[in-house]
Amino acid sequence: MSTDRTPKYRQEIQQMMFVSGETAEPSVETTTLIEEIVRQQVVEILARSTALATRRGVRSISTDDLIFLIRHDKAKVSRLKTFLSWKDVRKNVKDSDDKGGADAADFAAADDPIAGGVVAGPQDVASKPKNKRARVGLAWDVNSFYSVQVPEREDEEDEEEEEQNYATLQRLAAADERTKHMTREEYVFWSECRQASFTYRKSKRFREWAGFGIVTESKPNDDIVDILGFLTFEIVQTLTEEALKVKEREDREKNRRGGADNGEDSKKRKRETGLFDPPEEGRTPVEPKHIREAYRKLQATPNKNIAMLLHNGRVPARMPLRLI
Amino acid sequence: MSLGHHHAWLPPGHLRPPDDLHDARSANGYSRSFSGARTPQLRASADADGLHAGTLISDADLAPDDDPRIAMFRDLYKRSEAQINDLFANQKSAEEAARSAVADAEETQTKSQRADESAPPPAPAKKPARKLDDDDYDDYDDDDDDDDEASSPPKPKSLGTSHDPSGLPSPSRPSSGSVSVVIEARKETKKETLEDIRKKLEQDKKATEEAAKRSFHTLFYTLENDRDAMLDQQRLEESERQVEAEMSGQANAGNNPNSNSNGYGSLSSANLGASSLTLKNLIARIDMKRTMVQASDAELRSLMSEVRKNRSKWASEDKIGQEELYEAAEKVLSELKAMTEHSTAFLTRVNKRDAPDYYTIIKHPMDLGTMTKKLKALQYKSKQEFVDDINLIWSNCFKYNTNPEHFLRKHALYMKKETEKLVPLIPEIVIRDRAEVEAEERRLQLAEMDGADESDDEPIMSSRGRKAPGKSSKKGAAPVRNTPSGSEPPAGQASQPPAPVRSDSDTAMEGTQNGFPTPPPGGTQTPSDPAGVGAGVQGSQGDAMEIDGLIPSNNNILTALPASGVESEDPEYKVWKQVTKKDRAVIAAERHRLFKGDKLNSEEPALLRTKAGMRRWLRNQMQINAEGDKARESTAQGLDPGAAGETLAEGIEVDEDRVIPDYYDVMSGVPDLPPHLSWKEDSDGNIVDASEEFLRVLPSGSFTQPDSKLSRKMDANMRQMQETRKVCSKIGIVKQMQLQSQMYQNQFQKYQPEPFVEHDVPAHVMNDGGPVISPWVCKAALQRSVAKIFYHTGFEEYQPSALDAVTDIASDFFQKIGETLKSYMETPKLPATETPEPNTAPQWKRAYTEPEMVLHTLSSVGVDVESLESYIKDDVERLGTKLSTAHDRLRSLLSELLRPALADGGEDGSSAFQDGSEQFIGGDFAEDIDEDFFGFKELGLDREFGLATLSVPLHLLQNRMYNAAQAQNTSAAQAVTLFPPPPAYPRITSETLLSQIGLVQGFLGAKLKTSNSESLVEDLELPPKQRPTAARPRLPASGKIQPPAAASGLTTSPQKRPLPPSAAGQQPASKLGISEPSKKKVKKNSGASIGASDSVVEGEEALPGVDGTKASATTAVKPNTADEPSVDATPDLSGKGDMDTGPDGVGAESVDNAAPLTNGTVAGDAS
Repeated sequence: MSTDRTPKYRQEIQQMMFVSGETAEPSVETTTLIEEIVRQQVVEILARSTALATRRGVRSISTDDLIFLIRHDKAKVSRLKTFLSWKDVRKNVKDSDDKGGADAADFAAADDPIAGGVVAGPQDVASKPKNKRARVGLAWDVNSFYSVQVPEREDEEDEEEEEQNYATLQRLAAADERTKHMTREEYVFWSECRQASFTYRKSKRFREWAGFGIVTESKPNDDIVDILGFLTFEIVQTLTEEALKVKEREDREKNRRGGADNGEDSKKRKRETGLFDPPEEGRTPVEPKHIREAYRKLQATPNKNIAMLLHNGRVPARMPLRLI
Repeated sequence: MSLGHHHAWLPPGHLRPPDDLHDARSANGYSRSFSGARTPQLRASADADGLHAGTLISDADLAPDDDPRIAMFRDLYKRSEAQINDLFANQKSAEEAARSAVADAEETQTKSQRADESAPPPAPAKKPARKLDDDDYDDYDDDDDDDDEASSPPKPKSLGTSHDPSGLPSPSRPSSGSVSVVIEARKETKKETLEDIRKKLEQDKKATEEAAKRSFHTLFYTLENDRDAMLDQQRLEESERQVEAEMSGQANAGNNPNSNSNGYGSLSSANLGASSLTLKNLIARIDMKRTMVQASDAELRSLMSEVRKNRSKWASEDKIGQEELYEAAEKVLSELKAMTEHSTAFLTRVNKRDAPDYYTIIKHPMDLGTMTKKLKALQYKSKQEFVDDINLIWSNCFKYNTNPEHFLRKHALYMKKETEKLVPLIPEIVIRDRAEVEAEERRLQLAEMDGADESDDEPIMSSRGRKAPGKSSKKGAAPVRNTPSGSEPPAGQASQPPAPVRSDSDTAMEGTQNGFPTPPPGGTQTPSDPAGVGAGVQGSQGDAMEIDGLIPSNNNILTALPASGVESEDPEYKVWKQVTKKDRAVIAAERHRLFKGDKLNSEEPALLRTKAGMRRWLRNQMQINAEGDKARESTAQGLDPGAAGETLAEGIEVDEDRVIPDYYDVMSGVPDLPPHLSWKEDSDGNIVDASEEFLRVLPSGSFTQPDSKLSRKMDANMRQMQETRKVCSKIGIVKQMQLQSQMYQNQFQKYQPEPFVEHDVPAHVMNDGGPVISPWVCKAALQRSVAKIFYHTGFEEYQPSALDAVTDIASDFFQKIGETLKSYMETPKLPATETPEPNTAPQWKRAYTEPEMVLHTLSSVGVDVESLESYIKDDVERLGTKLSTAHDRLRSLLSELLRPALADGGEDGSSAFQDGSEQFIGGDFAEDIDEDFFGFKELGLDREFGLATLSVPLHLLQNRMYNAAQAQNTSAAQAVTLFPPPPAYPRITSETLLSQIGLVQGFLGAKLKTSNSESLVEDLELPPKQRPTAARPRLPASGKIQPPAAASGLTTSPQKRPLPPSAAGQQPASKLGISEPSKKKVKKNSGASIGASDSVVEGEEALPGVDGTKASATTAVKPNTADEPSVDATPDLSGKGDMDTGPDGVGAESVDNAAPLTNGTVAGDAS
C-alpha cells in the first residue's frame, strides 16, 4: 500500500483523541501518524484472522477469529462482547422498528410474564433480543465443552463479565468526571466525538482504507467491519492515552530542568498551582514523537514471548507486530 | 626358660626381660604392629621362646655360661626399648619410630660385632637335625605358609629373628664361631650350622624386606629414584647379556663334561640340590632310619637320581659337588649384582679410557661380569676360589681409590659387607671327579669291612663332596686362580669369611696408603675401582676391552647417579632403596616401554593386571587393617584375621612377591567396595542383608501429582466435566429415543467415564539418594500432566502427536526455568556488610534471597505472580463454577425432557418416581429399595451378565419415551382443538365419485378404473413403508424433473411433489389452509403440522404420529385440490433439533390461530 496516501480519518482521530483525553488540537502530522499506525494494525489483524480462518478451513473471517486474536486481553474481549451484544440489540430493535406496530403487541406479550405461562419458552426466546441482549458465545467457552448445547438461563449474571468490565467502567467514570462540568454545547460536542468511528456509516471508505480485497480475499460482513471499527477506536484510544503519559512525563522532566534553571521561582510554582497559571486546556498537543514513543512502548516484546529463547536461544531480529 | 641362649642368638634389639613374655602373641608372623617394629619383635621372640622351650630344654644348662654378655645385651635392649617407648609415648609418627629403630639397629650392630668376637653359641648345634632341615628347606625355597603343623612353628621364629636388618651380622658371627669351635668334633653339627647360617641370611634378607614393606604403610616414597633404578637394572641386564654372549662361544667346552653319563647312580650328586626339595626330606628320613633300609648306598643313589626330575643346569655326573657349589655361587653372584644401588660400578671391567692408570696399579683386575663368565665356564673348583675372586674386586677398589672419602669406597664397603653375609650360603665343596670319589668310597668301604666302624652314624647324604679336602681335585683351572695378595690361604673346611675380608681390607688400605702415595683420580667419578679386578688374568682382555667399548658412555652417568644420593640419605630410606630397587626398576621399565619418545606408544601391549598382583594388594590392605586393629586392642588374638582372608584362588597363579608399596603397583589396585556392599555372614552363616542400609525405595508419589488445593480443584473440575458429559449423553439418548420408533439394547453405549487416577511407578529400589534419572518415565509423567491440563481445558481426547509436541514444549520451558533459576542461584556472593571492619574477615551472602530468585526467574520467563494467580482464579476456580452451572442447566434440561415420559405413565408404576427422572434413567431405584427387583440376583444373572448395578436398561424406556413424545405432539395438537374432529372423509368409490368437484372427477375416475373400481386408499391409511413418501423420487442429477409415469403404483395416490422449503412458513398460505376446513382430502404430515388441528382427517387418531419419523415438510395434495395453494405447509424445524431455536414462525402462527400455543415446545423437538 502506498505510503503517501492522503489522510482520511483526521477528524475521527481528532475526536477519538479528544474522547481519550487529549484536549488540545493535535497536528495533522500526529493524526496522520496515528492513522498509519491504525491502518497497519488493521491490516495485520485482517491478515492474521484470515490465516486463522484458512486454518479452520473457512474462507471468510468470523467474529471468533477476531476475538481469538485479542483473546489475551480479557478486558478488551469483554468490551467487545458487550459491544457485540448491544449491537445485536440495536439491530433487533431496528428490525422491529421496521416491522412497525405489530411489534408493539409483541412487546406487551413478552413483557408480561404471566402470558408466557409454563411453556413460554419460544415466546421468551423470541422476545429476548428486545429486553435482554444476546450473549456472545465463544468457541472456547465452557459451553462448547459438551455435545449438547447448554441452555441459557438469564437469571444468572455473569460475574466474569462484571469483573472484566472493570476497565470499561473506569473509563466511563473518567469520562463522567470530565463531562460533569461541561456546558450543554460542550457535552453535545463531546457526545459527537464519542460517536466517532472509522466505520460507522463510512463502510465503503473503511474498506478501501483497510485494503479489503487485498489483505483478505473475502468480503467481510458487517459484523467484522463493526468489530474492526470498535478495535480501531480502541487502538486510537490506547495510543493516545499512552502518548499522553509519555508527554506528561516529558513535561514533568522539562519542568524540573527548567525549574533548576530559573531558580526558586519555578520551584514555588511547581509546588502549588498558581492562580495565574495557564489553564490545563492550554497545554500543547501531543506530538508525533510522543506517539512514536507510545507506539514503541506498546510494541515492546514482553518476556513471555521470548522465554523459550532463553539460554543460547537467539532473539530474532524482528518480532511480529503486536496488536495494540 | 632358655633366656641366655636366646639372648645370645638374637640381635640385642630383640631382647626383652622375661616378664614381658605374657605380651607375646603368636600370629603366624604376619601380624605386625601398626606403628612400628615393636610388637612383632615381641611376638617373634616369644614364639622363638616357645619353640625352644618345647624342644630345647636341654639347652637350659648352657645359659648361665653366658651371663656377662647377657647382661650387656639386656642393657642394650633396655636402652633401645626405652627409646622406643619414649617414641611411642610421645605419639610420634610411625615414620620416626621406624627410623629410630633402624638407627638403633645400627648402633646395636656395631656393638654386637664387638660382642661377637668370642660369642659361644652352642645352641644351634644342639638342635635336632631334622627339625632344622625342615626349617631350612621351607625357608630356603619359598615363603608360603605350610599347613604342616610341624613346620609352621619355626616360621614365625625365622621371621622374628630376622626382623631387624641390623641384626644381620650377629647370627652369622656366632655360627662361624661355633663352627670354629666344634667343627672338628662334629661334622654333622657343622653342616647344620652352615645351613643355619644360610637360613639366617635368607631370613635376614627377608627381614629387610619386611622392614621395608612395613615402612610402605608409613612412608610415602616418591618416584624420583625410579629412573636411576631402571637404568641400573638395565645396565645389569646388559652386562649379563654380554656375559652370556661371550660365554656362548666358549661355554661349550666347559659344559661338555656335564652332558655325559646320565643315569649313573650317584647319590652324592642327588643330595642338597637346591631344587630337590622333596628329595631332601626323603633323604633325611632315610638317613634317620638308615638301619631299617635294606638297600645299599649305591642302590639308593641310583634310585634317587632316577626319581629326581629337575636337575639344575650345573648338574654333572662326573663332577661331584659341582651342582651344589655352582648353584650357591651363582645365587650369591646374582645377589651381589642385583644390589644395583652399589654394584653398578663393579659389574664390568674398568675401561682404560676412564682410568688410564688403572691397570698399572691393579695387576689383577676382577669384576662381577668376569666372575659370571668364569662361573659359566665352570672355572671355579671350590668355594674358596670363588670367594677370593669376589674379595679381589673389593680390594682392588680399595687399592685404587685411596681417598677414604671416595664414593666408590663406600660402595665397595657395602658390597663387601653384603658379600660377608652371603658367602656362608655357599657350601664348602671342592669339586672332585666322580671316579676319584668312588675310588675313595671303595677304599672306605674296605676299611669298614676291616672293622673300622667310625663312619657308621654318618648320614650318607651329607658326607658326600665335603669330605675331600680343598685342593685335592683341582682340575686344569689352577693357573687361573691367582688369589689376591691379601687373602688368606685356604683355611680348610672352616671358612671364616669375616676374617679374611677384614684382613684383606686392612692390607689393602695399608697398601694404598703406604705404597701408593699418589692421590687417586678422585673427583673424576670414573669407575676406577672395578678396574682393579678385571685386569685380564684370564687372558680375555681383548674381549673385555670390547665390552667396555660398548658401554663407555653409560659408565659415567650410571655410576655417578647413585653415588650422589648415598651421602645424605637416612638409613630407612637407604633400606627402602635397596630392597625395592629391582622391583621399582622393573615397574619403571614396564612403564617406560609404553612410551616412545614423549608420546604413548600405541603399539605396545597393554599393562594387564594379574590375579597375583591383586591378591597381594588385597593382602597388604588387610595387613594394614590388621595392624590398625592390633594397635587398638592390646589383647592377644590367636589368629591374624588377615590370614583367614586368603582365598582359595591363592595358588592359581605364581605369586611373585614384589617388595614394593602398593601405590607403585597401580595395576593391581582394587577399588574400595563400600562397606555396606560386602558379603557378610552372621554367626549362623546366614547372609547379613545390608540392603536396608543403602538401598532405599523410591518414595511413592514421585511421579504423581502432589496433593494441593489447586490439584484438588482441577480434579474436581474434571470430575464435574465427566459428570456433565454423562448428562449430555443421556440427553442425546433421550432425544434420539424421541425420534426413533425402534431401539436396540446396545444401540447406545452408556457413557460411563471413570474418574482419573494417576498411577505411580511400581516400587522402585534405588541405590542412592537424589532424584531418579529416568528420562522416559519423567517424560511420561509430564505427558500425563499435560494431558490432564488438556482435559481440564476442555479437550476430551487428543492425538498422541499433539500431546508429544506440547510435552516437549513444556519440558523445554521448564528446562529454561531451571537454567535461569540455577544461574540466579549461582550468582557470585556479595559482601554481606557494606562497610566491614578492615580486619574482620569479609562476610558473604548470597546475591539474592530465595524469593528474589524465584521472582527473577519468573519474570525472565515472562510470568509473574499476578498472572499465575489470575490463572488459578479465572481458569480453575471460575471454570469450576461455570462447569457446575452448566451441569445444573443440563440436568434440568434432561429432567425436563424426561418428565412427559414419566409423568403420565402409571400402569407400569413408573409414576412412582415422581420427579426422579435421573433415578429412573440411572435405574438406581432397585438399589435404593435394596431389593432384587427383577430377581436377577436370585437367578445369578447379575454375575452372568456382569451387571454392575441392577438398573433398568435404558432401552426399556424407549417405548414410553417415544410414545410420550408422540403423544405430546398430538395431544398438544388435540389440546388446542376444542371441537371434536369432523368425521372422516368417505372413501372415494365409484359411487362417491360424483360428489367430488368436477375438476378431479376425471382423475379419480381414472384411478378407480385402474384399481378395478375398488375404493381408493388414502396414503395415510397405508402402513408407513408402503406410503408413497417412502419411495419419493429423487431429483436426478440432470436437475430436470421427469414426468411421472402414468402407472406409478396401483394403490397409491398420484405422486406428490415435494414442496420447496421456501414455500413453508408462509403465513398467508397457512391461513388459507386453515380457513378452508371444509375442503376434503387434505393430506398432510402430522409431525410438524400446526394448522392441521382443525382439518385433521380421519386417519389421524388411528395412527397418531405414524409418519413422524419421516418428518418431512412435504404435503400431499390431491390433484383435484391442486387449485388451492399449498395448504398446510409447515415450517421445517427438523434441522434445528432444539426447542430454543427458530421459534419465529411458530410464534407467528400461534398468534394467528388465536389459540394458546402449547405445542411449540414439543413440536420442535418431535422433528
